[in-house]
Amino acid sequence: MIESLFVLSPTGKVIIEKHWHELIPRRVVDFFNDQVSKAMAEGEDVTREDVLPIIASPKYQLINVYRDGLTYLSPVTKEVDPMMVFEFLHRIPDIMQEYFGQVSETVIKENFVTVYQLLEEMMDDGFPLTTEPNSLKEIVPAPNILNKVITTMGATTSVSTRKMPNGMSNLPWRKAGVKYNSNEIFFDIVEEIDAIVDSTGKAVSCEAHGTIQTNSRLSGMPDLTLSFVNPRLVDDCSFHQSVRFNKWESDKVLSFVPPDGHFRLMSYRVNLPSQQNLPIQVKPSINIGANGAKFDITVSLRNTDGKAVENVVLTLPLHKSTSTLTAQCNVGQYMFDPVGKVLRWDVGKIVPRERAPVLSGSFGFGSASSEAAANAGYNIGVEFLINSHSLSGLKVDVLKLFNESYKPYKGVRTMTKAGRYQVRA
Amino acid sequence: MDIFSKPKFFTNNTKGENAELLVELNSEYRDRRKDAVKRVIANMTVGKDVSGLFPQVVKNMQTEDLEMKKLVYLYLMNYAKSNPDLVILAVNTFVKDTDHVNPLIRALAIRTMGCIRVDKILDHLCEPLRKCLQDDNPYVRKTAALCVAKLWDLDQERAIDNGFVTTLQDLVSDSTPMVVANAVIALAEMQESSVNKDVFVVNVAIMNKMLAALNECNEWGQIAILTSLAEYQPLDSKEAESVCERVVPRLQHANGSVVLSAIRVLMIFLRYLRNDEFTNGLIKKMSPPLVSLLASAPEVQYVSLRNINLILQKRPDILQNDVRVFFCKYNDPPYVKREKLEIIIRLCNDKNVDQILSELKEYASEVDVDFVRRAIRAIGRCAIIIEEASERCVNVLLDLINTKINYVVQEAIIVIKDIFRKYPQRYEAIIPTLCQNLDSLDEPEAKGSLIWIVGEYAERIENADELIENFLETFLEENSQVQLQLLTATVKLFLKKPSQSQEIVHRVLQTATQEIDNPDTRDRAYVYWRLLSTDPQAAKAVVLSEKPPISVDSSADKLSPGLLDELINNISTLASVYHKPASTFMGNKAFSADAVRKAAVADARDEEQIMGEDTVTSPTAPAASAPKNVMADLLDLDFGSSEPVSTPVMSPPTSNSKSGPNYSADLFDMSSDMSSGGSDAFGGMGGMSGMSGVGGLNIGFQQSQSQSQNQNTATSGSSNAFGDLAGFGGFGQQPSAATASQQTQQQKPTQSSTVNDLLDLF
Repeated sequence: MIESLFVLSPTGKVIIEKHWHELIPRRVVDFFNDQVSKAMAEGEDVTREDVLPIIASPKYQLINVYRDGLTYLSPVTKEVDPMMVFEFLHRIPDIMQEYFGQVSETVIKENFVTVYQLLEEMMDDGFPLTTEPNSLKEIVPAPNILNKVITTMGATTSVSTRKMPNGMSNLPWRKAGVKYNSNEIFFDIVEEIDAIVDSTGKAVSCEAHGTIQTNSRLSGMPDLTLSFVNPRLVDDCSFHQSVRFNKWESDKVLSFVPPDGHFRLMSYRVNLPSQQNLPIQVKPSINIGANGAKFDITVSLRNTDGKAVENVVLTLPLHKSTSTLTAQCNVGQYMFDPVGKVLRWDVGKIVPRERAPVLSGSFGFGSASSEAAANAGYNIGVEFLINSHSLSGLKVDVLKLFNESYKPYKGVRTMTKAGRYQVRA
Repeated sequence: MDIFSKPKFFTNNTKGENAELLVELNSEYRDRRKDAVKRVIANMTVGKDVSGLFPQVVKNMQTEDLEMKKLVYLYLMNYAKSNPDLVILAVNTFVKDTDHVNPLIRALAIRTMGCIRVDKILDHLCEPLRKCLQDDNPYVRKTAALCVAKLWDLDQERAIDNGFVTTLQDLVSDSTPMVVANAVIALAEMQESSVNKDVFVVNVAIMNKMLAALNECNEWGQIAILTSLAEYQPLDSKEAESVCERVVPRLQHANGSVVLSAIRVLMIFLRYLRNDEFTNGLIKKMSPPLVSLLASAPEVQYVSLRNINLILQKRPDILQNDVRVFFCKYNDPPYVKREKLEIIIRLCNDKNVDQILSELKEYASEVDVDFVRRAIRAIGRCAIIIEEASERCVNVLLDLINTKINYVVQEAIIVIKDIFRKYPQRYEAIIPTLCQNLDSLDEPEAKGSLIWIVGEYAERIENADELIENFLETFLEENSQVQLQLLTATVKLFLKKPSQSQEIVHRVLQTATQEIDNPDTRDRAYVYWRLLSTDPQAAKAVVLSEKPPISVDSSADKLSPGLLDELINNISTLASVYHKPASTFMGNKAFSADAVRKAAVADARDEEQIMGEDTVTSPTAPAASAPKNVMADLLDLDFGSSEPVSTPVMSPPTSNSKSGPNYSADLFDMSSDMSSGGSDAFGGMGGMSGMSGVGGLNIGFQQSQSQSQNQNTATSGSSNAFGDLAGFGGFGQQPSAATASQQTQQQKPTQSSTVNDLLDLF
């Protein structure tokens, strides 16, 4: 049972609190803040993200999620499924994002009553109630210009004109009577690459996490079947509620009646072999001496099907004792943050068969240098994006529509980007 | 106020604001009233007291405006407790709303009434609730189902007398999946707090209803159904198979909690499966979803990793080929890294050990000192698990020692000591390298480890006496752990090279008996002295006896089979995250002692009887730590004092074997990390030797001998023996044990003089 929620500002102040069962006194927040500052005082590198997500207090278990500077804290008094609490707590900023476009202390305060109503609808007596954005939007109207005009003009939003909540239709995720003049559906296949690459360019671990984001603007009750050219590539996948699991098991096709609007149709994971040709190669060489190091980093393209790689950014966290840095690069621009000790190189776009971007230079350790600085390992975080490319090779074959007579416009876009992609120097 | 401007919900002046709101709430314009209610709600949410506006707010409840109605409901739920009398004013509107034509309003009214946790409203709740439970609309029935749990929470009798419990049980057979799901949620919640535990017993019929609803209800309903399914005991393997088949598709859910709940059901039902082919297929299907959980938010990863740790202890064949996904990213939060490291070690086998070693070496160069140390320890554990890889591990450790980074060197030496214990006489060649780092050691554990190595291999180290001398210079200032280690090492040196070290050993024993107040160190010195002076051959047999090899299975991170099974039953709960029964960290202390007993039962029944009776009344933590101290006093055993008390809390009877998993310098170099589920065969023996302490020193010596015999034959026996002894002494249950220690103390002065006499003889 999720009894209470406190949303805390970056400074630990309560922005909003909600008690679904008994009231839990606010002093639990003070205890929590103490624990957080205690944990963060343990080392200079300890950040808020490093604090344990479950903290024991004498009376409560403090389950908390930290996202975008805000803490979602749920103290519980009884044994609970912590995974469920985390899933639920993450839903709250997700929903707020849907409603307000962004999540911050200010946004919550500006939309106070809406947030409060949402929290009321999302939970009944400690058990999650309605968490589907589509259903919620029917019960709690999102703040948009039309709504504002209606309320300010004093027009009545009377009960009788309101539709039934879609929780009452046969398909809880789809409302009845949807109508569009032009029927269209778009699929965005985005693959994020999580990889650890060693200094020789070999992948120590590498997997692609794909999602199929769908925007459905189809009238009536369309029944869709989406098939892939090579579905067996997928190692593991999960689906939107609407997808008929048996069809996937037997025929490896996605058969579903889509919700209206944006939704995530499918998430999948593809394990990539260590011999996998990665689209981009980062070759770092860091020669460390007693007082500093010389380094150069080369980026080159490999295996992108002739496509350009965009938004390439490399970040290299340096040892805490680093005091000086000089460097030059032939492409893009670099920046050294002397406080956070991070070197960031904004490479930009790399086009095939152009000369390879290189960043070279040297950095020196300050007075506090030690063996630890000289032996520290270096990791380079890599960001990039490739349009119309799927690293795993998963391809959509055909989309069929049943149960409705119109011919919808169909669009598929693919994109590969770096997820948690790091290169060891 | 200009109603066309954006409403301002926050102003500072509370008193003035309340007065202003009061006027607004009574306004004849609906929009102004609505804005005012919104401002009231906003104030309420930030904790300002707006309870004084209760009557004015409630007046606005009778409206056809849904939003307005909901706002007033919100307010009511919050303040009903402080104004129970006024709530009655609202009751009529509530009751009317449960009859509204719009099912949304009926559901909202019954939901809100249930949330007003005031006794007075209960009288008015029962009739509407009865109607709503039979409502034509599933949305209303679903909401009413949960309302029964709310009523139950406040007044169980009333819920039973009104027949709501029976109605709720009938709703499990409802035709709409979401009604079934909510009925299950409500019943499971009620079952927990019911006295007779008969509210919700999952039988075949209920199980089938739940399985039928499983696919169709929403994610939260699925979690509830899966949780209740886990309670079901299948009749035979066939039935278990069919349930598993229905549950497996849930592994494909995007909600991590649904996945883990499904995993729990499967892990429990695996026990009933007799068909190997089916079992293997099932295990294959469990790996990919567990791996996928690791791509989620760090909190979700953390819970997953803690649970995977349990699952792997039970079913080591899961995730066999997936070790790569547990490799750490440099920017993973430390709590995720730690757990990944644990899993990596669990998945280590002779095929992937090279890959793992190079990975661990990589971690050892990170900046997080704690993580670096853990990585180095992990290398040692690899060496101990996989014999063929031990040499490669030693080489990696030597590389690390050559970095000269202080904490890396010290940790590596501690680890190498364990490798020496596992593979004696194999890697002495590296001793000179270790000794080069002698001066940089400042941590007791590292120092003690190196001293142990020097003592153990004294005959192979030419300048062993010089090295020991070197350490002895600071003997009196050392931590007791190091002192004990030095004492033992010196005696070993003497037994191996008597000619070089007679003077040293004499000096050490004298210093230890005369200048040190720590009873552990002092008493051990007495024992050695006595041993050496009476029978040097016996001393050799005792001190240089063959030591039992250490094994990984015995280390503290392996849970006892009983506790493990209990935790497997609780996958995806807080218990599975803490690796402790829920009652040890939730609820009151009396319960926790109870659970400690329960966890211990499967482990060591004999010991439990001695311990358990006392633990019931005593608070958990002292009960767990007491045996340690007592034992150390009586038997001159010292266990790693740096160990957190929280580990033994889990199961005190094994705390002696758990308390020093890393290193413990004790009288006989006895490994303290012996297998925790050791045999009880020596239990009686241990009891005897404990009692023999009454007889004073002479008997005390025999006792040590008998102990050492235990050592040579079966090490686990003595571990249990100490457990028994601790049980006696710790709680003064056996007066004789208490007097025994007293007498030993009193005899000290005489002993020392005898010993002095005897020493002259040899």
